[in-house]
Amino acid sequence: MARQGDFVQVLKEQGYQLGWARGDVSVPGGVNVPVITDGTTVFAMKYSEGVIVAGDRRATAGNMVMYDRTDKVLELDRYSVMAIAGVPATAFEMARILEHSFKYYRRSQLQDLSFEGKLRALAKLLKENVPAALAGTGAVAPVFAGYDQQRETAKIFFYDILGAEFEGVDHAMSGSGSPTIRGILHYLNRWGEKPLDQFSEEEAITLALRLLTSAAEFDSATGGIDREADLYPVVKRITKDGVHTIGDVSLKATFEARVLQHV
Amino acid sequence: MYEEPYRWVEAITNRRQYLQDQLKQGSPIVAITYSDGIVILTVNRGTPKLYEIYDRIALAGMGHPADLEKLRFQMLDLAHVEGFQRSPSDVTGARLVKYGIAPVVKDAFEEIFKAPYISKILIAELGEKQMQDHFVRLDYDGGFEESTTTAVVGATAEVQSHMSTYLKTRHAQLGESLELVFNAALFTWAIGSLYQNREATLQDESTDSAVQDTSPSFEFPDEQAIQEHLQTVCSEMTLECAVLDRTLAGPSKYRPIPLDAVRSMLPATLKDKVR
Repeated sequence: MARQGDFVQVLKEQGYQLGWARGDVSVPGGVNVPVITDGTTVFAMKYSEGVIVAGDRRATAGNMVMYDRTDKVLELDRYSVMAIAGVPATAFEMARILEHSFKYYRRSQLQDLSFEGKLRALAKLLKENVPAALAGTGAVAPVFAGYDQQRETAKIFFYDILGAEFEGVDHAMSGSGSPTIRGILHYLNRWGEKPLDQFSEEEAITLALRLLTSAAEFDSATGGIDREADLYPVVKRITKDGVHTIGDVSLKATFEARVLQHV
Repeated sequence: MYEEPYRWVEAITNRRQYLQDQLKQGSPIVAITYSDGIVILTVNRGTPKLYEIYDRIALAGMGHPADLEKLRFQMLDLAHVEGFQRSPSDVTGARLVKYGIAPVVKDAFEEIFKAPYISKILIAELGEKQMQDHFVRLDYDGGFEESTTTAVVGATAEVQSHMSTYLKTRHAQLGESLELVFNAALFTWAIGSLYQNREATLQDESTDSAVQDTSPSFEFPDEQAIQEHLQTVCSEMTLECAVLDRTLAGPSKYRPIPLDAVRSMLPATLKDKVR
C-alpha cells in the first residue's frame, strides 16, 4: 500500500495503532463519565474570492475553561484547512495524520492528492473513530475547506461524528456556538443586502468577527475577543493562491473599526 | 563455494567492477548552498532524478531508476513515520542515511546471492541558516560521506575529485545569486560528464579493463569547450534543477525549478538549446 501513497497504512505497518480506534473504548457505568476537553465554535463561509474559515480560541471541559488560546483552524497543506470542534486530542491527532498523509502522497506519487481524495481521507479517519465517538470520549465534527485546483474553486464540507460528508454550498459550521452563526448566515445570505459570495474580503472578515462575538454572547463555551490580552480568533482565507492567515494586527484594526462600536 | 573467504572477496571485487561499469553512463549530480537555500542540479534522459523526501530534505540519485525508487520509498517511509511519531525537526538527512538506508545498501552489496543497488545518491538537507546546510553522499557499497557547502556525485571517485576541484578553484566566490550558483553547478556538472566520457573512452581503448590513474593528464577544458559539450547535452537530454528554498513560506521547502526559469538562467549560447 505504501507504493500507492497511503500513509495511514504505512503507519499501521510500523505498529502504530490509532489510539481512539481500538474498539475497546467504553465508559464505565455511564455515570462516571470523565470530563472531556471540548472544542467550541468554528465556521467557514464563501466570499467573492474564496472561503473564509474562522474559529474561536476557547477549549472547555465541562464548566471549566481549559485554555483560551487554542488554534482550531488547522492548515493541512497549502490549499486546505480543517476546522475542529469536539475532543481536541482526537482532532489534533487526525489533523497531524492528514497533514502527513497529504505530504506523503505528494512526495511519493509525485502529484498532489485530489480534493476528493483529501475529503475521503478525513471521512476514513472519522469512521475509524466511531467507537470512541459513540463512547463519548473522542467525538470530532470537523469542517473541511480548501481550494480545488482541478475545478478552480474553493469549497466547504462538513462532517458528522460518524464520518458522513456534506457539502456546505454557502457556509458550514460546527461546535456548540454554531446554531447562532447558522441562523445569522442563513438570514444574511437570503435576505441581506447581497449574498455571501459577493462579500469582499474585508466585509467577510468583519462578518466573521461579528459572528464569533455573537456566538460568544450566547454560548459560554465559545471564547470572545479580549483586546487587553491581545486575544483574537483564528481567521484564514483560502483562495487560488492557497491558505493565508489573517494577522492579529489586521484583525485588531478591523475589530476596533467595524465591530467594537456595535458590541 | 563462496564459503571460502578469498572467493567471497573475489566475488565482491567483481561486483564492484560490475557496479562501476553500470554507473559510468549515469549523470553526475551537483549541489551547492547559497544564502537562500541549496541548488541541486543534474541532467536526465526523461526520468527525473531529483526528489523531495521531507520538509527540508531532498534526494538526488544516479543509477538504475528501479533501485532509486526502492531507496526513495524507504526514505519516504522512514522520514514520514519519524516526523509523525516524533517531530519534523527530528527528521535529519544524516540519520536517514546512517541508520536507515546505508545498512540496507551495504547488506545488499555484500550479500552476493542478492542483487545490489545500482545507485549512488546524495541527500541534501536545508538548515535554518546556510552554515547548517548539510549533505550526505551514499555510495553503492553503503559507504557514506558528509559535507557542507558543496557536494558532488559522479561515477567514480576520480570524477568526483575533479568536479570538487573545479568547483573550488573556478567558483570560489559564488555570491548570493541563484543564477550564479546555478551556472557554477551546471559547469561543474559538465566537468563531471566530460571526465566520465573520457574515462569510458580510455577504458574501451585499453586492453586492461581497469582504468589506471588518468587524473594527472586531465586538464580542465576552457569555457568554450564546456559550452560546446553543454550545447550537445541540452539538445538531447533534460536539465533538471531544484532548490531547497529557505525563503519559502510553510514547512515544505523543496521547489523544482520550471524549465522556463532554467532557460532564463542559462548562458545565451545555451538558451535556445534546452529541450
